[in-house]
Amino acid sequence: MASSLSHPAGRITISEKAVATIAAQAALRSYGVVGMASRTLAGGIVQALARDPRHGVEVSQRSGQLQIDLYVVVEYGTRVTSVSASVARTVRYQVERTLGMPIGDVNVHVQDLHISFTE
Amino acid sequence: MTYLAAQVDPADRERLAERFRQIDGPMLRALTEASLTWLRTNQQLVNALNVFPVPDGDTGTNMTLTMQAALEEVAGSDETSVGRMAKAIAHGALMGARGNSGVILSQLWRGLARGLDDLATMDAPALAHALDAARETAYKGVVQPVEGTILTVAKDLARAALQVAATPEATNLDVLEAVVLAADESVERTPQLLPVLREAGVVDSGGKGLFFIWEGMLRTVYGLALNEPLLEVKPISQLQLEQTAEAIEPGQDWEVIVDFQPTAELDIPSFYRQLGEMGTSIQVGEGDGLYRMHIHVLDRTEFRPVEYVRTLGTITNVRIENLMLQVPGTSGAPSKSPLRLASPSPSQIAVVVVSPGEGLSRVFGSLGAAGVIDGGQTMNPSTQQILQAVEQAPTDKVIVLPNNKNIVLSARQAIELTAKKLAVVPSHTGPQGIAAMLALDPDGDLASVAAAMESCMQSVRTVEVTLATRTAKVDGVQVTAGQAIGLLDDTLVAAGDDLGEVLQATFEKAGAERAELATLYYGAAIPLPEVNRLAERLVSRWPGLQVEIHEGGQPHYPIIASVE
Repeated sequence: MASSLSHPAGRITISEKAVATIAAQAALRSYGVVGMASRTLAGGIVQALARDPRHGVEVSQRSGQLQIDLYVVVEYGTRVTSVSASVARTVRYQVERTLGMPIGDVNVHVQDLHISFTE
Repeated sequence: MTYLAAQVDPADRERLAERFRQIDGPMLRALTEASLTWLRTNQQLVNALNVFPVPDGDTGTNMTLTMQAALEEVAGSDETSVGRMAKAIAHGALMGARGNSGVILSQLWRGLARGLDDLATMDAPALAHALDAARETAYKGVVQPVEGTILTVAKDLARAALQVAATPEATNLDVLEAVVLAADESVERTPQLLPVLREAGVVDSGGKGLFFIWEGMLRTVYGLALNEPLLEVKPISQLQLEQTAEAIEPGQDWEVIVDFQPTAELDIPSFYRQLGEMGTSIQVGEGDGLYRMHIHVLDRTEFRPVEYVRTLGTITNVRIENLMLQVPGTSGAPSKSPLRLASPSPSQIAVVVVSPGEGLSRVFGSLGAAGVIDGGQTMNPSTQQILQAVEQAPTDKVIVLPNNKNIVLSARQAIELTAKKLAVVPSHTGPQGIAAMLALDPDGDLASVAAAMESCMQSVRTVEVTLATRTAKVDGVQVTAGQAIGLLDDTLVAAGDDLGEVLQATFEKAGAERAELATLYYGAAIPLPEVNRLAERLVSRWPGLQVEIHEGGQPHYPIIASVE
């Protein structure tokens, strides 16, 4: 159980899976992110292009706030810092907007670059 | 191609088409320079197309800075090949890409360069092919492209270019004209494709920026001016009247704002022309028959605009401000009270804060801040600026208070880049930062002091009141352009025509009934008597609440307040 809000009608809980789905969808719509990667499978990087809707997203609780870790593959030839900053911003905005509450850190881990064109 | 082509004589057009039949490296650079100038001229207009109804100008500035970096890369280059010139421009754009729109723009340049290969010169088919390669490259950068954005505009203009270039004897000018027309139409269609734009009543800002890039090239080919912004009259609430000190250029000594009611219908082009002879940064706003004029003028001419406007109608309000005072190192009248910063000893912790206004900076200084970075809602400082302030701090243990949600990330990036021990206490607002300062123990351990500051920061709630820049529905609240809106901890909770009522409604949501102390930091544009009236209303509504008033000096937000 990731989060709960009290509400006049009772309590609302939002699972980590739900948050991860929102985050992954937002990340994949963010410019410069061409895939999500996970750290699992014996430490290797596995790239998945949007097969599992939550792939490459980890949601955890830290000091009472949601922390989101994104493992992304970025298009080669883009400015990685700008892409990372905007994916973090987009994910935070979408998650906070959907949940209607503030979240903690959004960390972006660039796991790999994807080369579409060789120059 | 209607509105621009109409300004060019057909015989001249023939000659121009011939002159640009082949474009080489230096010609491409000259065209790109025109793009940058035209983009810069219309930067505020692009910035104003933000979907969130709080002044938060970004896209225009980001695209301008990206284009500027691109051109710095080729300044003084003697490259003659158009392909290699495009490659160098693309490299500069990549290195200087700012924000989302800047990254996409750099990808478009990269694709354009790829499409041109190492060609010596380009003709119409080569240009169209390169534009198509730009589209292809830009689309490779995202898994799920969102249509109704700059990507769509890049796609539509590439299609138009290919179509025209396929006709026999097509010239670069034909392609350029088709591209500008297609971009213009595509931008106008973006709200149909993207609901968030439709809701906010705007077109896509990145797409509009891309349109200006191509229109700038076409304007320079036609020999049209690039430094005059489109003559327009915006709703008063959309005027971007606040300038940061860095943005003030020589010759902008005074800012003059005049509100007036014209006696006859205002002739806008002639009005702009007259003002253009007096100064720069001209903006005109209108609401309910009342006009607001904004201009920057030279020293000793600050009354000229007022005298001029007097001939046009009844003046209702005048504000004249000495901008030289805002620029460090220039002399004007003595400033109200100097900013005093703490100077911690080498073993202590130094705190560097981001502050949106002079008054808030003074409050931070009095609480022990050792460094101040100017910035806030519309001017987010870069990681580089934050890093610089951290490096300049007199000690090796530094805490940064970003005081804005959008700056937290840039501040955190500085951690990786400095050799100093740096902690970021993620304050989202000024009041949170001020609350955090109360827990500062300069002699403590960095991590535990930062943790204490962070937990102290959460003890306040932040109320901010500003004016909506456009009509939209946000966080479930319907807002009309020009209305006052109230934000509680960054979430929109109230909107209305009366600022005082909105402030009260927001305080209500902030739990003013149980609160003991409210501190109001008033903005640069609101007069003190009005602030006093607002405070009195709060006290009469909640007699148990103690209300303090401080000058904040921030732009855009008449009131920022903490409730605790």
